[in-house]
Amino acid sequence: MQPDTLLAPDTAHYVDQFAQLNKGFADEDTAWFDDQRRQYLARFSKIGFPTQRDEDWRYTPLRPITSKNFNVVTAPERDVDLSGFKIPALHSHQIVFVDGHLDRKQSALDLSQDGVSIQPLSAVLRENPDLVEKYFGRPVKNNSHGFTALNGALYEDGAVIKIAAGAHIKKPIELIFLSRTGMAISQPRNLVVAGRNSKAQIIERYISNSTAHTLTNSTTEIIVGHHAAIDYYIVQTQSPSAYQVCGVWVKQARGSRFSCRTITLGGGLVRNDLRVALNGSGAHCGLLGAYSVSGKQHVDNHTTIVHQAGNCTSNELYKGVLDQRARAVFHGRIKVAQDAQKTDAQQANHTLLLSGNAEIDTKPQLEIYADDVKCSHGATIGQLNADSLFYLRARGIDQAGARSILTYAFVNEVLNQIDIMPLRAVLEEILASRLIHEI
Amino acid sequence: MLSITDLQVAVDGKKILKGVNLEVNPGEVHAIMGPNGSGKSTLANVLAGRDNYEVIAGAVRYRGQDLLAMEPEIRAREGVFLAFQYPVEIPGVTSLYLLKASINAIRKHRGEEELDAVAFLKLIKEKAALVEMRQELLYRAVNEGFSGGEKKRNEILQMALLEPHLSVLDETDSGLDIDALKIVAQGVNTLRSKERSMLVVTHYQRLLDYIVPDFVHVLAQGRIIRSGDKSLALELENKGYSWIEGHAT
Repeated sequence: MQPDTLLAPDTAHYVDQFAQLNKGFADEDTAWFDDQRRQYLARFSKIGFPTQRDEDWRYTPLRPITSKNFNVVTAPERDVDLSGFKIPALHSHQIVFVDGHLDRKQSALDLSQDGVSIQPLSAVLRENPDLVEKYFGRPVKNNSHGFTALNGALYEDGAVIKIAAGAHIKKPIELIFLSRTGMAISQPRNLVVAGRNSKAQIIERYISNSTAHTLTNSTTEIIVGHHAAIDYYIVQTQSPSAYQVCGVWVKQARGSRFSCRTITLGGGLVRNDLRVALNGSGAHCGLLGAYSVSGKQHVDNHTTIVHQAGNCTSNELYKGVLDQRARAVFHGRIKVAQDAQKTDAQQANHTLLLSGNAEIDTKPQLEIYADDVKCSHGATIGQLNADSLFYLRARGIDQAGARSILTYAFVNEVLNQIDIMPLRAVLEEILASRLIHEI
Repeated sequence: MLSITDLQVAVDGKKILKGVNLEVNPGEVHAIMGPNGSGKSTLANVLAGRDNYEVIAGAVRYRGQDLLAMEPEIRAREGVFLAFQYPVEIPGVTSLYLLKASINAIRKHRGEEELDAVAFLKLIKEKAALVEMRQELLYRAVNEGFSGGEKKRNEILQMALLEPHLSVLDETDSGLDIDALKIVAQGVNTLRSKERSMLVVTHYQRLLDYIVPDFVHVLAQGRIIRSGDKSLALELENKGYSWIEGHAT
């Protein structure tokens, strides 16, 4: 493929990468997934990266990403020392990706006895692509943004997790994505298919140990079967030099439950797109988010919940603390389709600004086409509660201490709802060390 | 212990206390009674140092120091304790965490070693038993989802733990049924000692059946209009506040 001189330089760089990487399959490869990569590339070439002229990206300047040329890592490091990143006392099924590539040795892939199969996407596409065609093989959607299209064209690998009907997976499945090489782009592509009545906890962890810039552009699709219950965690603790665009697409069947906790305590520029479609009656989703950033960090949470079927409930709470020049964006879209009667959708976003230079742009967006629904949304941007401050001071805690305890508590209200105790403990510790000063 | 002279206080520009005088000696329990809006809670809050209360005139000496010049946390560390009328709920902070931060702040101020986790837990369990507080509540967020009685018991638990010199109980009886009232009163009574003084602010005489005061003062329209012993409380109960307000003018 010839570099197209009409492309913007940022777009052209990745189109060029695609050409270099895929010399092998060229045009004679006609498997559906090869085809699809080409379609996504065409889409990316056409639309490029989003800009602030796009309403969905208005408050998130992408220059830190688009001004740099990130490169796909072709020979990833093996056996990377992860000891510093382990969550103490967490017993999990662990799958490790380094710079987008599976670290097979550190990954527990053979779990069939537990009712779950975890396979690298690369192997599935090589050996048994029919397994995922039903989910991945759809025509490229025209509503995907540039990052999704880029992922679709250039993904290296990812986890394909299939949970058997009726299986209750005791240990959490922990996907670790480590960005290690400076100026590397990692593009994981994951798929979770939870069978009828199954139950599992899945953690996506994003970490980095590079002081140079890295970019992670992930896409995860989750299919939650009838009456299945999936607890999902997105835990972002990269260094401030790491950039991330994280897309999670969820489809829920009748009576299913899906909860997602998105915890952002790191990363220089983080954009999360979480889209949940409640397609079957009586489904429930609960989206919780917590962010605590400072410096010039930027966290953007875009959520979309589509109530497609009736009698579904959704509950959304995002809380964050911004210090120094940090910026956050919350955009919560709730769509209630005409037939989705008896919908109950609640949404709230609360942010504390600890500095006059910090900024939050928060925007609820409700589109309701049914008439028998209960929907509410609320956003506060605020100060600490004066009564609570006085209460702590009346117990001997000085003003600075009282403020830091209440700031911690403000975010911790979300962390308190993490059911995996070792994970909760680690995150609380990070948060406390950041927010609670010497009392 | 506490010496209040001609204390005048305004809230939002409106004068609430219009010259209060009160002497409390070590070991004494004083009850402040009065109708709604008489300034009882204002007095309690001013002593604890809450913002938005403007002291227009007067002085408050506490153990030889100018109480009004101290920040709220310094008052607490020096041994002033306010049991809140409406204890605040603090989601995200467990009672245990608050109590440990609190007792260690106070110990540090006194030049004592901070308590380690084991010593602290032992102490807290002992004090929780005193007010019949279920231990699981200690692991929950401060006052969150507590019943009215549990919130008030939590206040007394904190008081028992912090061992203040001067306790100010702001309408601790409000919202309590008789059983909870007895438990709270019992907790307070075990803390009575020759060194410790208490100011019990209440609307009703009922609490004083269980926490028997040495002195009773009636606060009305921002002034103490009558003082006496515990029989004054009974008289008030029988005749109502109108009786005494009539005499005042």
